[in-house]
Amino acid sequence: MASDPTSLPSPSDLSIPNPSPTEEERLATLNLEEPTGNHAPIPRPLSNGSSLSADFDTGNEIEVAEEELLGDSTDLAEGSSSHGGGGWREISEQDGEVASCSPSSSGYAGERGSSGASSGIEEVDDGVALQDDWVPGKRHLDEDDASVSWRKRKKHFFILSHSGKPIYSRYGDEHKLAGFSATLQAIISFVENGGDRVKFVRAGKHQVVFLVKGPIYLVCISCTEEPYEALKGQLELIYGQMLLILTKSVNRCFEKNPKFDMSPLLGGTDVVFSSLIRAFSWNPATFLHAYTCLPLAYSTRQAAGAILQDVADSGVLFAILMCKHKVVSLVGAQKASLHPDDMLLLANFILSSESFRTSESFSPICLPKYNPMAFLYAYVHYLDEDTHLTLLTTSSDAFYHLKECRLRIEAVLVKSNVLAEVQRSMLDGGLHVEDLPVDSSRRSRSISPQMTQENNISGSRPPHMALGGPAGLWHFIYRSIYLDQYVSSEFSSPINNSAQQKRLYRAYQKLFASMHDQGTGPHKTQYRRDRDYVLLCWITQDFELYAAFDPLADKVSAIKTCNRVCQWVRDLENEIFLLGASPFSW
Amino acid sequence: MGCSASLPARNSGQLGALNSEGSAVSDSKNLRVKLVLLGDSGVGKSCIVLRFVRGQFDPTSKVTVGASFLSQTIALQDSTTVKFEIWDTAGQERYAALAPLYYRGAAVAVVVYDITSPESFSKAQYWVKELQKHGSPDIVLALVGNKADLHENRSVSSQDAIDYAEKNGMFFIETSAKTADNINQLFEEIAKRLPRPTSAS
Repeated sequence: MASDPTSLPSPSDLSIPNPSPTEEERLATLNLEEPTGNHAPIPRPLSNGSSLSADFDTGNEIEVAEEELLGDSTDLAEGSSSHGGGGWREISEQDGEVASCSPSSSGYAGERGSSGASSGIEEVDDGVALQDDWVPGKRHLDEDDASVSWRKRKKHFFILSHSGKPIYSRYGDEHKLAGFSATLQAIISFVENGGDRVKFVRAGKHQVVFLVKGPIYLVCISCTEEPYEALKGQLELIYGQMLLILTKSVNRCFEKNPKFDMSPLLGGTDVVFSSLIRAFSWNPATFLHAYTCLPLAYSTRQAAGAILQDVADSGVLFAILMCKHKVVSLVGAQKASLHPDDMLLLANFILSSESFRTSESFSPICLPKYNPMAFLYAYVHYLDEDTHLTLLTTSSDAFYHLKECRLRIEAVLVKSNVLAEVQRSMLDGGLHVEDLPVDSSRRSRSISPQMTQENNISGSRPPHMALGGPAGLWHFIYRSIYLDQYVSSEFSSPINNSAQQKRLYRAYQKLFASMHDQGTGPHKTQYRRDRDYVLLCWITQDFELYAAFDPLADKVSAIKTCNRVCQWVRDLENEIFLLGASPFSW
Repeated sequence: MGCSASLPARNSGQLGALNSEGSAVSDSKNLRVKLVLLGDSGVGKSCIVLRFVRGQFDPTSKVTVGASFLSQTIALQDSTTVKFEIWDTAGQERYAALAPLYYRGAAVAVVVYDITSPESFSKAQYWVKELQKHGSPDIVLALVGNKADLHENRSVSSQDAIDYAEKNGMFFIETSAKTADNINQLFEEIAKRLPRPTSAS
């Protein structure tokens, strides 16, 4: 993926003094007329709360933007997606094609309508079911490639061996899919025999994406219109999940016996994979390569971090305290760094394996980005319904030590009220777009002269804007590049069911892929309007912002709102991010 | 010293044992023993433990990952108490190589099969052999045929199991974690068979 974390700037960049770029420069990055003329923002500490200067919405920018807005409105009236100017055309056209022929961008009703009566099966199962209703584990075991229902599923994932033996299939019984698996293997080896490598095949509405990892082949067959990069990233994660369970040393089994049947080794892990595949449509960590924190008072998170640090100093490699999939605090031993993808896979493994909830567990697991060859030993314990503590060590006989560590941690967390605060934060939820401050500079030191004007535009939330936040803001994701963390707003009422959430994440995913496209990018800004949303993406050296607005949202207000979101996030960074004492060594 | 026979001294090898707190005895009236459950996946090891420790039975299968640790103390008629520190291991093939981590140093091994599954009975025999080879020499071995409530689907006869258990010096019992049949009896019988410390501390 383009966001290879190894290419992230080193933390030493953080210490470059802030030359305070004016907001004119920063807003210029949102100017679609001159996508190549952007000023590269100069790295500055994320915590610089004063970086949004008072005069950020200069008249110039707004006028340019308004011209653009007119163009967009025309496009909207014609019923196609928006076209940006100049260099943006390529991306926009791609989008236009998708918008006009893709059912997935126009909602589920259309999706079902356009692809046959029963083709909605998968989407019904996956999309409409809310998280609570979701039944873990593999369904439709009775199916195979001869079943009509199996063929109509929108997104298949397969793992097979280089000899064509099935290892995992999202749907249907692997053993019954031996023939199909052999076909996939034949395609891959046919191309390889020609000294080439097959990346993907398009067949009508279907895209077949291949990923070869030594003796393990991974294949996705999808008609969801997700970009190739997104599907490839998903295959990478599935491979990582497999390594987390088995380590890469499983390759040795294939060296000894090329026809080795690997599927029994993954016995009982269907639920882990199905949960990960499901996360592809609800968890932005799967494409952002970042983790998210549970919002907590700075002192609360510090208290949790202090006791974890204490334990890490006693020979624990990583100590991770999470509430569901959100991090409360995490600490690594000296020089040990934990990759966000490993955290995602570890959290998915723990959350999807019900047995961790019943008692304390001690299990070998591998963190593929940390060391794909070796097992670590994980002590896992739920401190309450949602909060789980994972202590990782390299020592296979450390159970009793880790158990003692857990008792110490638990005592401190209870005493300092951290667990109660975690529960409270879970109930309160995260950031709500409705709460976006009228003018966040009011919260910081600098008072903007434009404040009153801003108030008039979208400030006091008039009644007709009851849906979503100001200026039609429905949702946003802010990813801090240095911290490898993101924060996303809670879903507001226009996006109130999981089908809509999935559609929005797919739109973000597409946006992410186009922004990080190595052929045409990387890009700084993107503004696109289709019949579902106005989507705005803004990437600087510090952060990436993805925002979704009402499709009728005013562009000028949307851009202003994005600036306010960024300021809001910076104002709250002590509470929504895990700062300092980072175990990330890059 | 009875079941303290399995202490770190013998674990100087490459694979440490999970018994740093000891599988051993505190004093003659209050025993503390490390117990490991082994057997094929899906035979009901976790269900037996949860029935014994919490009195619960959950029919939805929750595949164990690695191993779960639970403890339960029972009082015997002679006013001694036995605290079982139970390692409920995962039955999946990929964990087989890691089993020594859990059974080394154990004073008791409970090998479980499903009376409706001959494969699980063969797997149980594999574990018995492995324990005889690599377990503590004085380990108490129990053979447990679980899912006794499914007797209409029985495919492992009680007699076969009894014969096998006798031949290998094991204690044998059929249980049902679902109905709670013989679950407490299993652990009480084990407790009675534990070697006692010869002298009070």
